Amino acid sequence: MAEFLTGYAWPTILIVLEILAIIVPLLVGVAYLTYAERRVLGAIHLRIGPNVVGPWGLLQPLADGLKLATKEPIIPSGSSKVIFLMAPMLTFLLALVAWAVIPFNKGWVLANVNVGVLYLFAISSLGVYGIIMAGWASNSKYAFLGGLRSAAQMVSYEVSIGLVIITVLLCVGSMNLSDIVEAQRKVWFCLPLLPMFVVFFISALAETNRPPFDLPEGESELVGGFNVEYSSMPFALFFLGEYANMILMSGMTSILFLGGWLPPADIAPLNWIPGVVWFALKIAFVLFLFLWVRGTLPRYRYDQLMRLGWKIFLPFSLIWVILTAGFLVAFDLLPNA
Amino acid sequence: MIIQALAFYLFAAVTVLSGAMVITARNPVHSVLFLVLAFFSAAGLFLLIGAEFVAMILVIVYVGAVAVLFLFVVMMLDIDFAELRTGLLRYAPIGALVGIVLLIELVVALVSWKGASEATANLAVPTPPASTTQNAVAIGELIYTHYAYLFQAAGLVLLVAMIGAIALTLRQRPGVRRQKIANQNAVQPADVAEVRKVASRGGI
Amino acid sequence: MTALPDFAPAIPEIVLAVASLALLLVGAFKGDGSTRLVSWLGTAALAVVLVLVWANTGDKALTFGGMFIADRFASFAKCLILIASGITLVISQDYLKLERMDRPEYAVLVLLATLGMLMLVSANDLMSLYLGLELMSLSLYVVAAFRRDAVKSSEAGLKYFVLGALGSGLYLYGASLVYGFTGTTSFTQIATTVGNGPSIGLIAGLVFVMASLAFKVSAVPFHMWTPDVYEGAPTSVTAFFAVAPKIAALCLMVRVLVGPFGPLVDQWQQVVVFISLASMILGSFAAVVQKNIKRLLAYSSIGHVGFALVGLASGTEEGVRGVLAYLAIYLFMNLGTFACVLAMKAGGRMVEDIKDLSGLSRTNPLMALCLAAFMFSMAGVPPLAGFFGKLYVFMAAVHAGLYALSIIGVLASVVAAYYYLRVVKIMYFDEPAEAFDRGQSGVIRFVMAASAVIIAIVIPLALQPMTHAAQAAAATLFLG
Repeated sequence: MAEFLTGYAWPTILIVLEILAIIVPLLVGVAYLTYAERRVLGAIHLRIGPNVVGPWGLLQPLADGLKLATKEPIIPSGSSKVIFLMAPMLTFLLALVAWAVIPFNKGWVLANVNVGVLYLFAISSLGVYGIIMAGWASNSKYAFLGGLRSAAQMVSYEVSIGLVIITVLLCVGSMNLSDIVEAQRKVWFCLPLLPMFVVFFISALAETNRPPFDLPEGESELVGGFNVEYSSMPFALFFLGEYANMILMSGMTSILFLGGWLPPADIAPLNWIPGVVWFALKIAFVLFLFLWVRGTLPRYRYDQLMRLGWKIFLPFSLIWVILTAGFLVAFDLLPNA
Repeated sequence: MIIQALAFYLFAAVTVLSGAMVITARNPVHSVLFLVLAFFSAAGLFLLIGAEFVAMILVIVYVGAVAVLFLFVVMMLDIDFAELRTGLLRYAPIGALVGIVLLIELVVALVSWKGASEATANLAVPTPPASTTQNAVAIGELIYTHYAYLFQAAGLVLLVAMIGAIALTLRQRPGVRRQKIANQNAVQPADVAEVRKVASRGGI
Repeated sequence: MTALPDFAPAIPEIVLAVASLALLLVGAFKGDGSTRLVSWLGTAALAVVLVLVWANTGDKALTFGGMFIADRFASFAKCLILIASGITLVISQDYLKLERMDRPEYAVLVLLATLGMLMLVSANDLMSLYLGLELMSLSLYVVAAFRRDAVKSSEAGLKYFVLGALGSGLYLYGASLVYGFTGTTSFTQIATTVGNGPSIGLIAGLVFVMASLAFKVSAVPFHMWTPDVYEGAPTSVTAFFAVAPKIAALCLMVRVLVGPFGPLVDQWQQVVVFISLASMILGSFAAVVQKNIKRLLAYSSIGHVGFALVGLASGTEEGVRGVLAYLAIYLFMNLGTFACVLAMKAGGRMVEDIKDLSGLSRTNPLMALCLAAFMFSMAGVPPLAGFFGKLYVFMAAVHAGLYALSIIGVLASVVAAYYYLRVVKIMYFDEPAEAFDRGQSGVIRFVMAASAVIIAIVIPLALQPMTHAAQAAAATLFLG
């Protein structure tokens, strides 16, 4: 019995607590990301944004959540019910499980796996299923078109994301996310790999279906895209999943290019601040870029989107992979050679 | 160990069951989704034997890219499976016959199976021990060093497939106007717009 | 840093691969107008590679971890393949233009298919064999369907693809059984492992591998695709199909059976004897009723494969020498014949019926003479080259004690002679049909005449050097 307790029960409880410690702040973050989005967009538009519910409108996200949760979930009669309901759950679930490998600080990681980057990449490539299933199961042409657009878009941009990740891996020599952060002690990768950083950020916008690449849900043409038929909790799950994915992609950007939990320079006042705060600040910064782009850029046309992905980013990032590899080999800088 | 065994049976059972569902599901979209599930649990099996790199690549390549395109095509095709199955009964005896003959051959071959004495030694050569090498490193070593020739040849095969697909399907339609972004960017306001003062009641 | 592999033995292949990629770029950037340029550059590349192969001929050299072999046998086969590809590329240019399929990808695909064939005859591993085979076949599927607005061409491509994929599947199945038995895919190691005695699983694997190779050389009973594909594919493609891939696949069959499976000669000999017999008989009888010249040539090629396999069936060095000599002669006979078929143009379009040849001797005596020479040679009438090819393989079979095979083979070639001579009779004794268009391209006429001269005069006079080269090539396989 004692063995059972120490061998199985206690670790399980510990893991559950750790998971909660990640998920709860994440969900709070998602809630306030929506708030931040509305405030930032308001500022860009020279208006105020939500400021009525609670002090400075801080309770607005809770009100929104309450409203969605109390509405009636509608399942269209022609839909494929199981898949229709599975799609939002899948989206939400995938947005959460990816956090298992994210290091918040030195050693602060739920699962320190060897192939962390690949895990993240795999999970983000699964994200398309939620959308395509929703689009198909809704049995509505707008939703279907949105789903198809999204599938094509995500598959296209994954290719360049993969190549960007390969470039980073070449410089690190490990697929472990903590190792990737540690490798940036001297200089953050966003400086030597600046073009790749830009490609990654833009592809991240496309991967999360954010403006200016939000064609899957372009409301002016698709009345809302893949999620038109959703309401209430299923819709809320999509919503949460999308914003959690944004935070995840920002986290990935900070880990791959902005030095994760590392302070900008290892000097006195800066390294007093705990790493997790730095990490949160960097995520917040990238998220602000997401919102800023949304506030300022018009939506891409679909053929322009595809052209950008296949004809510009793919060859460009391929060339950069080769250049980086050649540079590292030529100057004998390869890690663990 | 118990957990690993449980996980193995779970993944194995899901793989086999979803594999069966792929061919029995009535709706082709469901078939593809079960295929995805099968890939996914196969990746789980890879994880259990410590091949985490292969597992992730399986998910990224097969689930994340190949199956999505499958799904894409299947959703847009209007396949009537009932119609496809009409010929099934007619050809079933021949198919069954061929299948049975192959099965018998396999059984005969298996029953009298006697590997060459050197076989085990030969098999072990390309695989470094799992304890000393990370599996991404081991795979890289095999593909890019030992089998570089095959890797390049496979690249050429894929290139041919690509050339073939384009050469056989791409049609240049005459008279289609294409967007030339450089030209659009080069346009100056003065080229396309003119500011005119229009006199009241005068018109242009 | 790991040491780089030794590239020297594979230089011809590397040059060809780089050349085809470069030509692809030229074609992609210069558009459809560059077809002629790309074709000529492709031919030039093949010529350069031919010189490289010639210069590289030497003793056995293994590279890429033993997966690639360069020896005299491979060099001999590569020379034949490169000549065949180069000449088909040259003679198809006008045809491509006429049938409006002049796109630069055609030449690139022919080049890549040729590259696959070179890799095939140099394969020393089950895996490199498979990749060479796929590279060749995939390019061939595409060129078969290249005339995409013609239903027949698309059908030919699809048929070839489906059956070819089946063939590849059989190969993989067989190769996996062989791997399961020996634990290795390297031919060198398989040969040593197999020597200790066969097992049923291994033999099953061997049979599957042979079946797939028979698919590729279109030997009976795996010949069904041949007539339809030959007829449906554009004629220039058929000319290519009939020669280069056949040579590559037959040489590969010889290498696989004599090399790694050499110790199992008793097991595979009966299979080869059967395939060879069936091909000879079917090739001879089924061709008799054909009206379309491309179908006729399809059955004729099935028959020729049967004759060539007679040499392999003997399983001796002499037999392999016979196969190589037969293939060299086959190359020129068939290229010449197809040059004639490509010249069959009446009223601005291609015709392919045998009766269109009626009275050719009066309307176009040169072409009639050449075609007659090819037909006599294919029939095996001495002193034309075709006779010597048959002579070598049958002599090898007799020396190996395969009397029944030789006798039936000779009888089959008598039947075959009937339909070859019928073509001659139609050309010389029937009333003239509509005359073919004047102004055939000089290249086609040159290839026609040159092939006729080669098979009627050069080869019969220069038998000694040719058999010598074939002998040297065959000997390398039996050195062990």
